[in-house]
Amino acid sequence: MTPGRTVRLIWFVTWFNVRILLASEFFILTTFIAPLIFATLAFFLFRSGGGTAGQTLLYVALGAGMMGVWSTTLFGCGGAIAWQRWEGTLELLVNAPSRYDYILVGQTLGAVVFGFYGILATLAWGVLLFGMPIEATYPLILPLSLLAAIVSLGSLGMLIATTFVLYRHANALGNLLEYPIWLITGLLVPVATLPWWVHPISWLLAPTWGMEAIRGATIGAAPPTLAIAMCFVLAVVYYIAARVTLVFVLAKARRDATLSLQ
Amino acid sequence: MTALTAPPTRIAPNTLRAAWRVFWYGGRMSYGMLFNWARPSIYIPTLIGGPTFQLFFFAALGSYATDRSPAYFAIGNAVQVSALAGVFGMTMAIANERWFGTLPALLATPANRVAVFAGRFMPFIVNGLLVSLYAFGLGVVFLGVRLAPGSIAVAALALLVTVFSCTAIGALQGAISLRLRDGLFGANLVTMAILLFCGVNIPLHELPGWMQVVGNILPFTHGVEAVRQAADGAGFRQVGWLIGVEALVGIAYAVLAFALFVLLERSARRHATLDVR
Repeated sequence: MTPGRTVRLIWFVTWFNVRILLASEFFILTTFIAPLIFATLAFFLFRSGGGTAGQTLLYVALGAGMMGVWSTTLFGCGGAIAWQRWEGTLELLVNAPSRYDYILVGQTLGAVVFGFYGILATLAWGVLLFGMPIEATYPLILPLSLLAAIVSLGSLGMLIATTFVLYRHANALGNLLEYPIWLITGLLVPVATLPWWVHPISWLLAPTWGMEAIRGATIGAAPPTLAIAMCFVLAVVYYIAARVTLVFVLAKARRDATLSLQ
Repeated sequence: MTALTAPPTRIAPNTLRAAWRVFWYGGRMSYGMLFNWARPSIYIPTLIGGPTFQLFFFAALGSYATDRSPAYFAIGNAVQVSALAGVFGMTMAIANERWFGTLPALLATPANRVAVFAGRFMPFIVNGLLVSLYAFGLGVVFLGVRLAPGSIAVAALALLVTVFSCTAIGALQGAISLRLRDGLFGANLVTMAILLFCGVNIPLHELPGWMQVVGNILPFTHGVEAVRQAADGAGFRQVGWLIGVEALVGIAYAVLAFALFVLLERSARRHATLDVR
């Protein structure tokens, strides 16, 4: 496939998946409603503390929005291959002339892009209900931060999609991994306040750097160059790991004749 | 030509004994067959792992954002995690009758509807209690939760009543879900609303007035407060009224759920939509 066709394929699958997710009540809840509830909860908590934590409303809104992005990535990507199985399209997609990993890239990017709508909803919530000022200390870097976060989370989503398929009940893993990642990636509670052994784990996770890149560009004191770089580095690492896992999973499924079995 | 006759039944369907059997065996069977999470591969990540991390998340967030102790948030969330079993479980136990195609068969039987409906509560109340007790154990070991020895029985009663009322709102959600495309949407929404409105993490008096009104008509609000006060040593005389209000809220939701269930059954029979998905 030429690079142009590859980009076109990924773009098409991404938007196709966004439209599918838009029709799902569960993902509407995860992406748009849940972040608003958590943002409200976090806002009242910070206000209850009299601002002792020194965090702004924008900090809370971005963190809660990113919680929605993670939930959408987790559930949207975790069940990606399983859904193709249930819908009976997995065999067709795997055997199509287009590379299957590109299709999966588009599918996971679709989930992540959809998740980022949630950040917009949370920001709108802050502005309309709480008079939150929208500001960015580095407005020119913000688009790059967003891109870095989307790419790294998309790659992580692909890794999730290829590994979760090995577990029969991917959604149960989603239920398990929602809160711990919210906690250890510093979305609402800074990583520095957590035990020391959590820090290295958080460095391996895309939401940590994605959040830091976005917060750095909006409320940071210095440009978030390290966070942006880490997003892209992790994206490459996740993609390679996902590709290796995918080759293994598909080879196993072909060998055992279980590609279409649920 | 002989007419088809129904096989003789040992117990007449209208007797109290038949109703008891429907309540007891039907309730237990509904748990095993309709509750999608009743298998270790889903139960452990969802009802053990999920609550574990929820407890730690809110303990960390709450103690960071406010000056309250992690134990405060651990108690609130240890009670609230029973909603995972109560709300989601009851939603599935009722709505899945339709999705699994067993609703017409169930409603074609002469079984006592109150027994059918009430029997479903029992396993989910037990399950919710187990999940909550596990979360309390975590709170005691890791988050500094301490229960006043003299008030443990009162705290347990408050917890039991709270789990009942949360199962009752789950039943209402289940009845509503008989008409919806995605029943778990409402269950998710109710569970999140409980986190925000019911004093699980934020004391009720710190919320705006309209949110306090919403909180007061939802389950958990009075139960969580009763458990918190009992944990601090309050006796039945101090928190009895909170437990009573929580019980009333639960009964109101249970009655509402049953009424809706019967209404939807009649409507579905009238419009021939019993099996329409």
